[in-house]
Amino acid sequence: MSYILSVVLFTPLLGLLVLLFLPSSRPRLIKLWANTAAFAGFLVCLPLAAGFDPGKDFQFVEKVPWIPSLGASYHLGVDGLSLLLVLLTGLLGFLAILSSWSSITVRLKEYYAYFLLLQAGMMGVFLARDLLLFFVFWELVLVPMYFIIAIWGGPRRMYAAIKFMIYTLLGSVLMLLGILTLYFQHYEQFGVYTFDVAELMKTSLSGTVQWWIFWAFFLGFAVKVPMFPLHTWLPDAHTEAPTAGSVILAGVLLKMGTYGFLRFSLPLLPETARDPQIVQIMGILSIIAIVYGALVSLMQKDWKKLVAYSSVSHLGFCTLGMFALNPAGVAGSILQQINHGISTSMLFLVVGAAYERRHTREIAEYGGLFKVMPVFAIIFLITALSSMGMPPLNGFVGEITILQGAYQMSFNWAFWCVVGIALGAAYLLWLYQRTMLGEVSPKNAKLPDLSVREIAVFAPLLACVFWIGLYPRPFFNILERPVAQIVERVRPGYYAEHGLPNPLTASEQVSQINPR
Amino acid sequence: MSASFLPTGVEYIRLLPEIILAIFGTVVMMASPLRPKESRNFLYTLTLIGLVAALWASIAAYASPGTAFQGMVIIDGFGTFFRVLVIGVGILTILISHQYLTRERAEPGEYYSLLLLSVLGQCVMVTANELIMLFIGLEVSSIASYVMAGYLRHDRRNNESALKYFLLGSFATAFLLYGVAWIYGITGTTNLAEVRAALLTPGLAPTGMLASAAAALMFIGFAFKVSAAPFHVWAPDVYQGAPAPVAAFLSAGPKAAAFAILLRVYMTAFEPLADRWEPILWLSALLTMVIGNFAALTQTNIKRLLAYSSVAHAGYVMVAVTTNTEMGTAAAMFYLASYAFMNIGAFAVVAHISRQGEKYVQIQDLAGLGVRQPLTAALLSVFMLSLIGVPLTAGFFGKFYIFKAALDANLVWLTVLGLLNSAVAAYYYLRVIVVMYMQEPVESTNSLPPLPTGLKATLWGAAAGTFLLGIFPSLVLDFAGRSAALVK
Amino acid sequence: MQSMTSVPLSWYLILSAILFALGVAGFVIRRNLITVFMSIELMLNAVNLSFITFSYQLKQVDGHIFSFFVMVVAAAEAAVGLAIILAIFRNRSSLQIDDISSMKY
Repeated sequence: MSYILSVVLFTPLLGLLVLLFLPSSRPRLIKLWANTAAFAGFLVCLPLAAGFDPGKDFQFVEKVPWIPSLGASYHLGVDGLSLLLVLLTGLLGFLAILSSWSSITVRLKEYYAYFLLLQAGMMGVFLARDLLLFFVFWELVLVPMYFIIAIWGGPRRMYAAIKFMIYTLLGSVLMLLGILTLYFQHYEQFGVYTFDVAELMKTSLSGTVQWWIFWAFFLGFAVKVPMFPLHTWLPDAHTEAPTAGSVILAGVLLKMGTYGFLRFSLPLLPETARDPQIVQIMGILSIIAIVYGALVSLMQKDWKKLVAYSSVSHLGFCTLGMFALNPAGVAGSILQQINHGISTSMLFLVVGAAYERRHTREIAEYGGLFKVMPVFAIIFLITALSSMGMPPLNGFVGEITILQGAYQMSFNWAFWCVVGIALGAAYLLWLYQRTMLGEVSPKNAKLPDLSVREIAVFAPLLACVFWIGLYPRPFFNILERPVAQIVERVRPGYYAEHGLPNPLTASEQVSQINPR
Repeated sequence: MSASFLPTGVEYIRLLPEIILAIFGTVVMMASPLRPKESRNFLYTLTLIGLVAALWASIAAYASPGTAFQGMVIIDGFGTFFRVLVIGVGILTILISHQYLTRERAEPGEYYSLLLLSVLGQCVMVTANELIMLFIGLEVSSIASYVMAGYLRHDRRNNESALKYFLLGSFATAFLLYGVAWIYGITGTTNLAEVRAALLTPGLAPTGMLASAAAALMFIGFAFKVSAAPFHVWAPDVYQGAPAPVAAFLSAGPKAAAFAILLRVYMTAFEPLADRWEPILWLSALLTMVIGNFAALTQTNIKRLLAYSSVAHAGYVMVAVTTNTEMGTAAAMFYLASYAFMNIGAFAVVAHISRQGEKYVQIQDLAGLGVRQPLTAALLSVFMLSLIGVPLTAGFFGKFYIFKAALDANLVWLTVLGLLNSAVAAYYYLRVIVVMYMQEPVESTNSLPPLPTGLKATLWGAAAGTFLLGIFPSLVLDFAGRSAALVK
Repeated sequence: MQSMTSVPLSWYLILSAILFALGVAGFVIRRNLITVFMSIELMLNAVNLSFITFSYQLKQVDGHIFSFFVMVVAAAEAAVGLAIILAIFRNRSSLQIDDISSMKY
């Protein structure tokens, strides 16, 4: 049994432990250590990618009993879906900490401590194969995020932090209800108490019970995504959080919600998931999110709030693709989640860089920065193009795949997708024009361009933008099996019906021919 | 009936904790005027020795479980769990009280003696197999607590606290006793198992109503002791007015013991009447949670906030009691243990902050503690987060087990409302954390002396307990589960 | 032992109930601390009456013994209660409940 997943999970915690013993009087040391720990956290994720076999399901599995009387175990594992998210978390976690080098000046030790704790929590969410373990990590993530917003945030940070906490807590508490119902149903059928996800998948639930559990899970996950109408915490939290906080919040935390839908709602509750009524509702909510988010972004005067609402819009695409319930939609949704993680993080980093220089988020205060900060402007341009889905960048691949999936589901959905894409281009280009082009005001004339460190923060993300945009094949390869698992689970026989080669049986045939 | 009224050898071992506590309680009381003036620590050490010895004895007594005093007292897993709990609570309270009493310039001797005797009463309560024994234990514990609540007799708030506690407590006890009398009249016995047998015999139908009435009367008494609605009104005033260590003690020890007897009586003796008293418990649990949480939202005095929070947590445990199942009992036991750690820790910090005369008891007086005394603030944050129910702390698993048991018993509405309540409660616990970390230090935090050793030890111990139960809950839960099976 | 003129047992129980109710009423209505305290004592003694009545009815001695215990406890409570009341009186020179309640909602 390899222990790599535990290493991935506990590296940030080890870093945290050492951090607590460093003297507060040496800020450079603290910053250096935090960055080292976060970088190490990222490095340990790489062997996962190297050793991952796209032809198999869960790998690097570790299972140790935790609370036997409840049937809860310390069970970790990665498949294609979690692998991508784990890599994203590792990368963004490191970049977020790196980006805070000069912007955070007070209470450094606590700041980095919370980030490392957050890192461990997020990793745990994506690695957990036991529902109780998942829930523990899910809730655990709230505490450091609350503190990060509340202590180092903007002027309305207290309100934003408390709103974030209470919203998410209410959602997760109801999700717990769903988990427990599933737990007890399993006991009734099998006589065994267990929280293990693989075991729980065998439970057959009646329609009504599934329906209720679906909505309980929905409340928990939809608050996180966030789906309309549970999204109102997001603009406040994203705007008031410090830059690194927003990066993590948008880049990773929101993905926890969609991950929840893909990993738990769809596979554990397949009948409800494919119920036409539910699909309709999800579709409508997603479309509202796409269009409403985009329209509100268009009207924003606050740069950061614009990016925040753009997140609502982008994740609307993801949920739409998810509930198209076909391989294209689901794969596109997952890829777009990764893309959103990358591009929106970059957008927040861009805002952060501007804010560090001018200490204002008003779009009207900027203008003509292209001449003053050319490197920054180019990077911003690439980011905006990536976010709006321009080929040959990453956003295009995700969006076109989702579009394909949505079209197979319903023409209406595809139509609104396109509307959303168009609006996305609109608000992003307009933003770019207002901030980067035009007259340079004297206030902006002397702003320094991006430093080496700041460029270093953008570099890996830019690399990913181009990589996914130009050569997305490895990503789709990794996703093939998990997507097939999900689609087959919700719509058994889909692949056969549509005359597509089923990755699940194909690999079984391969392994029959080629036993290792 | 055998003519021997002396306990046999084995029974001595089973009763050893009570014997130790009684001896030490008396000795401390008598030694109090005799102690040498210079050594303030003599009585303190003596009391600690007594409590630790009693703790050891309780664990040792578990090796030979059984009954004593002709079946009036029963030493089983359930009783042992609670004995260890209340003695542990006593130890933590003593550790907090020492410095507090020195600071308030109060006579320590009688305080320690009262504490020992109160713990003695609670030990008798939780091992009682018999209604009168239960009553005696309850009264010993309560009377000692009445005095402790008013210990600083020159302080008006202490006086008022003691008075309210005494009057309302005696009032409730009288109801309890009346219920006991009626049970005795109907069933002809006060032994719990025999009462249950008597209630199960057919032909008891016309008196079935009377038995329910008696159970209701007893419920009034129990509900008071555990501060369940609508008999919770004493709790805010008493916790606010009593000295902080005493409030810590009251919120953890007597409450746990009272829940123990509530569980024992209702699950053993009144089990045949279950469908009559379950609705009442249901309603009480709901009201307690809601009133406790919503009243706490508006509080500005930290002791009053902790008091209402204590009421709310009693509500959660009531949910577990309402389930009337083994799982529910185990969940309640686990919760009471974890709650003791969290709450004593929180009150300990309050005891430290409030300074002499308990001047600084507003939440605002904690402002800026994160800057001035980061360790204290961090520990208080841990306790607050545990009270909210954040994972990795004991509070999370406590609530988890209770709501799991409730769902298993089909109390869906209660679970939903309970979970929503606990989410809402996050607001007022977070407010404390906000004040500590997000506001500038004020006069009270600027002049704060460093943490004394006893207090530091208690806080670390409580925090360690919180994390231990939060990460490895099975240590306690398995034992609780086995013991709960015996209560049915 | 039942003669024609003996008092039926139920009357004792009714008396006990009435006394208990009077005690409750007194506790709730009266304003002077000593009177409130007396009401509590009345309640406890009403219960004693019940115990003895039931004990007689069941032909057991247990009830009598229980009432001994109750009396002892009541005495202890009385001692403690009066001490508390005395402490209050020393501090405030008033025994009216309204004057003493300072801690509000």
